[in-house]
Amino acid sequence: MSNATVSRLLERRSPFFSGYEWVTLALVLATFAVPFLTVNPQIMSQTNLILIAATAALGVYIMLRMDLMSFAVPSFMAIGGYTVAILSIRLGITDVFVLAAAAFIVPALLAIPLGWLILRLKGVYFVLVTFVLTEIVQLLLFEAAPLTGGANGLVGMPAVKIFGFELWDNSHVLLTTAGLAFTGFLITAIFTRRYRYEFAAIEKNDVLAESLGLACWKYKALAFAVAAGVSGLAGFALVNMLMTAHPTSFAPMSSVNYITYTIVGGKASILGTLVGAILLVSATDYFALSGELSPGLYGLLIIVVTLVAKGGVIGMLTKTVQRLRGRNGGGLTNPKPALAEGKS
Amino acid sequence: MDGANLTRGDALRVESISKAFGGLKVFHDVNFTMPAGGLLGVIGPNGAGKTTMINIISGRLPPSSGRVMLGDTRVDSQPVYSNAGRGLVRSFQQTATFNDNSIEDNLLSAIRFSGKDRSVLERLAVLLEKFGLVENWRRDANLLPYGLQKMLGLTMALATEPRMLLLDEPAAGLEKSERGNIDDYIAFAQTEFNCGVLLVEHDMDLIKRLCPQVIVLDGGKLIAEGAPGEVLARKDVIDAYLGGSDEEDDHAQHS
Amino acid sequence: MEGFIATGLIGISLGSQYTLLALGFTLIFGILGVVNFAHGGFYVMGGYVAYYCSAVLGLPYVVALLIALAATFVLGWLFEVLILERVIDDHQATLMVTMGFYLVLATGILVIFGAESPEFSFPISGVWRVGDVYFPYANMVVLGACLAAIVFVFWLVYRTNVGRSLRAMAEDRTVASALGMPTKILFPFAFALATGLAGLTGALVTPILALAPHVGDPVLAFSFLTVILGGLGSVTGATIAAFIVGLIEAYAAVYLGGSKGALTLFVLVLVILVIRPQGLMGKEVRRA
Repeated sequence: MSNATVSRLLERRSPFFSGYEWVTLALVLATFAVPFLTVNPQIMSQTNLILIAATAALGVYIMLRMDLMSFAVPSFMAIGGYTVAILSIRLGITDVFVLAAAAFIVPALLAIPLGWLILRLKGVYFVLVTFVLTEIVQLLLFEAAPLTGGANGLVGMPAVKIFGFELWDNSHVLLTTAGLAFTGFLITAIFTRRYRYEFAAIEKNDVLAESLGLACWKYKALAFAVAAGVSGLAGFALVNMLMTAHPTSFAPMSSVNYITYTIVGGKASILGTLVGAILLVSATDYFALSGELSPGLYGLLIIVVTLVAKGGVIGMLTKTVQRLRGRNGGGLTNPKPALAEGKS
Repeated sequence: MDGANLTRGDALRVESISKAFGGLKVFHDVNFTMPAGGLLGVIGPNGAGKTTMINIISGRLPPSSGRVMLGDTRVDSQPVYSNAGRGLVRSFQQTATFNDNSIEDNLLSAIRFSGKDRSVLERLAVLLEKFGLVENWRRDANLLPYGLQKMLGLTMALATEPRMLLLDEPAAGLEKSERGNIDDYIAFAQTEFNCGVLLVEHDMDLIKRLCPQVIVLDGGKLIAEGAPGEVLARKDVIDAYLGGSDEEDDHAQHS
Repeated sequence: MEGFIATGLIGISLGSQYTLLALGFTLIFGILGVVNFAHGGFYVMGGYVAYYCSAVLGLPYVVALLIALAATFVLGWLFEVLILERVIDDHQATLMVTMGFYLVLATGILVIFGAESPEFSFPISGVWRVGDVYFPYANMVVLGACLAAIVFVFWLVYRTNVGRSLRAMAEDRTVASALGMPTKILFPFAFALATGLAGLTGALVTPILALAPHVGDPVLAFSFLTVILGGLGSVTGATIAAFIVGLIEAYAAVYLGGSKGALTLFVLVLVILVIRPQGLMGKEVRRA
């Protein structure tokens, strides 16, 4: 009975990427086509804003794999953005690959000692400290004027270059953003799927995971660094679009926006973050006519989602699809990580 | 893992452990030794500090003074995961599983986190079948009956191929009819994995049935040591049980 | 030397304001286990209600204060009962709904009153001086009112049956309700008391400092700072920390200038977190 039984049970293998990852990556990839399909500056700038917002919100998504709510996104965006601005203005480095690498690596490296400090704190303290961190970074941007330009920011960034070719007009900027966003989404997808068992275990029961031999802090620190790096890429895209690095682009309260994208879209899958950003950035644009109402709209949506639709937009869609298919849909309709592989 | 070439692990020595929370003394100068591959019962009234003892040995709580040695390695105050890597693995008094994950996922997580090979499942097959885990292979752990969740947690500990198991009241909450599973589990751990077992338990029948040797903790002190039949007949031990009615001292572990 | 004393007075006066804010914040955390992101929103609302009552309706300032206190108390009560209570066991959800409520509250104020700062100044002017030490009467009144409110809170928490129940609930929610404490009333009461304190602080302080829809943001940040420094959930810790924060801010503003005071505080808090993660007065939590 025994040996054959267990081997047979293990035959099923879950794919590395779920349907959510494929759909998300395809959607982000599709934005490369936008500059070739339209010259409408409105559409291009909307796409740009959505991609930047979604990439930044990945920092929230990554930390939520372990049930940690992070307000630190604007900090790491700022570090990535200012790194690029300083490199291009002060040192004349304009190669997009070098700048992207710097925008990822500098925040990620800074996140390691910070993570060591912060990640010893659980739940509520972690939230409070990431919030305090965004305030500190904001103040530092103003105070460290010799490096950051203080209240004036760093203006007059040169256009970035790819293989020596200058990316200067609107469509080029969108292509740069799309490239950065795709890189961010790809890194996040690979990272969160590669360690999905570890993250799921830390989220569900970290005491148990540790008693089985999992060094939880290593995975938390790694995730904090990767989240910082991906946010840094979004910071690069933002300063590249504005041609300016300015403290107001990284306001502490903007962290709430990134959290909103991920929660309203649905925190269970990477697609939720993208869909949340698409819906809410578009809604902001739509409501912009009637004043500064978007924070109120965000607040209302957060409350509604938290009270009546925990899974967010994607969670509700998934439920609907499951009901229509009668419970046995695979792929897209199975958001929770199926731990079918042992070591990989 | 060194496969079939299983050596007996190392002896576990608890050397003059004291522990105080604030002003409250939980332990005072506790000493005992457990031979490699042995089976030692730990009994005592509620509040005697049995769970705290497991927390200290596994590294979760640092002792105020004294030390715990596994062979030549000091294991107290070491990260829990490092000790687990050394084969020193504990179970939990309450059910402890990864919710919303199937039995399969839970077991594979245990194997993955301990860096072991999936072939260990074949070695566990007899137990998996006997406990009824195979029947429920794809069900989420939190949807299982209490007894099954408990056995899953214990089997996960075994899936890390431990050298020394610290079992915190494995029979607590089990139906009378399910308690035989614990006998099977411990026998299996000892014969198949050559594993030492420290068994904290309230079920005296179980202790008498299984343990050649027990220690009795009361009020933070080790008050008796010896064969269960003889120790349980001692007057001071009986008094300790009749007098002790405090709450168990550690509520930290929820699943 | 005179400047030093005057700055100290300002620091103490700031400290008393922060205490009122932090007391509410830490009560909510200690008793309900909730981090109230909407705290700054109630502060702003208190300011605007007081402004509307005194500057627009022409009511006496003292009456405006009481109305502001009542309004924020009632809204806090309703929010607790209608929204917060439904997700009280999920700490992430409580965080989300209070954050969402803050955004709604701030936007609501913006829509009603506009983005511009209204004309709202303290009814008493003039400066008290002894030798070369100057201290505005307005600050003195605010200081007195804040101190009175602090004494009231301490009396309530430590000297009354309600306070004893609240502290028991902070220890263990399930045990408290099993012991027959009226948690159905006491939880919203605790929350409303805290939001009322925030509203009262706003009504007292915004005429001196500034009133605008967004002034709640830094209030939230400073409440965080204070409770991290003092230890989450500790009433005494919050009070001590609030005065430390107030004094550092006042002296740094004079002797360092710019936002260096705030920066000093933030760094201090980070250092505290390294050496004493539970804060100055927080209890040592067993590792879980």
